[in-house]
Order: sequence, then structure tokens, then C-alpha cells
Amino acid sequence: MNFKKQFSDGLLHKNPVFVQLLGMCSTLAITTSLFNGIGMGVAVTVITICSNVLISALRKVIPNQIRIAAYITIIAGFVTVVDLLLKAFIPALSESLGVFIPLIVVNCMVLGRAEAFASKNGVLASAVDGLCQGIGYTVALIVVCVVREFLGSGTFGGGLLNGGEGIRILPEGVPAMQMVMPVGGFLALGCVIAGFQYMMRKMENARKDKEAAK
Amino acid sequence: MKTQNTALYVLRLALTLFAITAVVAAALAGVNSLTAPVIEALNAEKTQQAIETVLPGGFEEVLTDFDDQGGLVSKVYKGAAGYALEVLPSGFDNTITMMVGVDFEGKVLGISVVSHSETAGLGAVSAADTAAGRAFRGQFVGAGGSLAVSKDGGAIEAITGATITSRAVCAGVNAALACVAGLE
Repeated sequence: MNFKKQFSDGLLHKNPVFVQLLGMCSTLAITTSLFNGIGMGVAVTVITICSNVLISALRKVIPNQIRIAAYITIIAGFVTVVDLLLKAFIPALSESLGVFIPLIVVNCMVLGRAEAFASKNGVLASAVDGLCQGIGYTVALIVVCVVREFLGSGTFGGGLLNGGEGIRILPEGVPAMQMVMPVGGFLALGCVIAGFQYMMRKMENARKDKEAAK
Repeated sequence: MKTQNTALYVLRLALTLFAITAVVAAALAGVNSLTAPVIEALNAEKTQQAIETVLPGGFEEVLTDFDDQGGLVSKVYKGAAGYALEVLPSGFDNTITMMVGVDFEGKVLGISVVSHSETAGLGAVSAADTAAGRAFRGQFVGAGGSLAVSKDGGAIEAITGATITSRAVCAGVNAALACVAGLE
């Protein structure tokens, strides 16, 4: 197993949001403030690690025909546990994310990693995979959050810094409210993905040029 | 797998899935029994806080005989300064749970949103402890009679981009005022 490769895959080459386009529902819905993005990212990371570990441990026990049902049951279990724990111990986050915490069950990234990785690899590798993919997901959410919050509310770090109001960058009235609404989610995500792909292409070309020069 | 079509194999599938669901259910029951009292205490504390925000001095008794205004008013607390009413208007997404303080003259003492599932950054402003949220809720203080947002010809300035939530809050306050008017 290759930790470095798994990490760069999760963050860049196979980024769940920017490359695999998984977990779009939560990405579009909750990326309105930095607090939401980080909270959602951490919750999904924890759930992906836990479900990856358990599914990997049970991969020889679960018959092929019922694997999806079994995975979803396991994932739903972890999601509900996280939901209950958040409600009890971090009520502010639970309130802010609302229904999107229970909806992590249908986040394709979690099931996707179970099917594509944990069902074929060992426990430790699966845990690392969950962690790396989770980090990639969290970073992607944060990027979209920062863009949308800046354009839509004119602040940075909403719900987290400056007593929850965020640091105001643009004066009130200037930001386009549309950007924190669903339509802004699609616009921002599309532009961020385009920018990400452009950056990746450039890096790839630079790498090729270097190799050719050798 | 050559045994795939035998009854035994089908049974194995069913039993495996059953075992997984049983273990998950047991684990959830365990976690729930740990978190349920904490969540309940948090909710009770929140209700208590909401009452104290809108009704100076808190409440002394819970009234049971009131007109619920078509199901909008769920609880009425009576204190030295007036009443605190829990109202449940329909918001953009779901029911909003609000506490409305009303004095004995039928004027609003204050409002507080206990729980809601409004859009983050828009309708959620109605409950947020931010300048915009406080300004929105502050408009209701001292008001009486029947309220409406400015779009509907009233005096309440709606939250930008969240007219439906603002209307819901108005509906909740109106229900509370009407309920109190019927109490005396």
C-alpha cells in the first residue's frame, strides 16, 4: 500500500468532488458558510473511515449478491450514530446542517469507496483510503464554501469566526444573494471544477514537458 | 460459486443481511440510550431559554385552556410580565418552532426562534444570533394587532430573499396575539 499515492489521489487525481463528481447533493446544498463546509467534511470523513474499515473487515463474509444492501445498512448505522452524537454534543452544527446529516447515507462518495475500495482491500488500507478521500472531500467543500460565501454573503468564515458572523470583506448590499441559494451552488461548483481541471491539466503538461526534456 | 441457486445459499444471504441489520440496530439502540437524555435536556434548556428571552422573569404556570388558532399555538406559559406562547407556523421547508412573548396589553415583548429548517443564510437569519437576525426579530417588539411583511402591505421588513420565512414568523406572531386576546 502506498500512502502518498492514496493521499494525492484523494486530494487531487481522484478527488471525490472535483474529479469523481460524487456527493454532489451535499456539496451543492450546504456550502454556504465555512462552518458548514468543515462540519460536513469532518462528519463525512469519519463516516467513510468507519464504514470502510467495517466493510473491509467483513468483505469475505458478505455475499456478493447482497453487498449493496449490507453496505448501505452499515453506512446508515454510522450516519445515524454521528447524527445522534452531533445532536447531543454539537447542537449548533446539527442545527446548521439540518437534514443533510441524515442524508449522508445517500452520499455516493461513502458507498462509492465501499464498493470501489474497501470491498477489495485490507482494513488498514481501507481506513487510509477513507481518510484521504474524506480530506479531499472536505477540502473541496471548503473551496466551494469560501467562493460562495464571499460572493453571496461577502464574508469569510461564517458561523466560525468573529462570533459567528464571519469577517466581512464586501460591504453589505454588494454580494449577490443568489450565490448562497441553490442556483449559486451550481454556478460556483461548475466554475470551481473548471478551474480545478485547468490547474490539473497544466500540472500534467508541465510534468510531461519535464519528462520529455530528460 | 456452484451453490448459488440452492435453498441453503438463499438462506445464507438472508441470514447474513439479517445479522448485519440486527447488529446495527443493537448498536443504534445503545447510542440512542446514551444520547437521548442529553438531547432531551438540551431541548428543555432551549425552551427554557427561549421563554426567558421573550418573557422577562420567566413563567409561573402553564395554561392549558386556550384557543390554539387552528393548531398554530401549541403551548402557553403565563408569567408576571405576560405570556410566552410556543407557536408552530409553517416555514419554507418545515414547521418553525417559535416562542412569542406577549404582555397583558397585547403587545409583543419579543420573539425567539427555537428550531427551524429554513435555508442557511436566508430563512435561517430569522433565528441567527447576528445583527441581521436581531434586527429582524426586533421589529416585532411592541407591535400589536395584526402584522404583515411590507410586501403584503404591513410594517415588517422581510429578511432579504426569505419572504416566505418572514411571512411565517408574522403568521406565528399574529396567532400568538390573537390567542392572547382571547385569553382575557
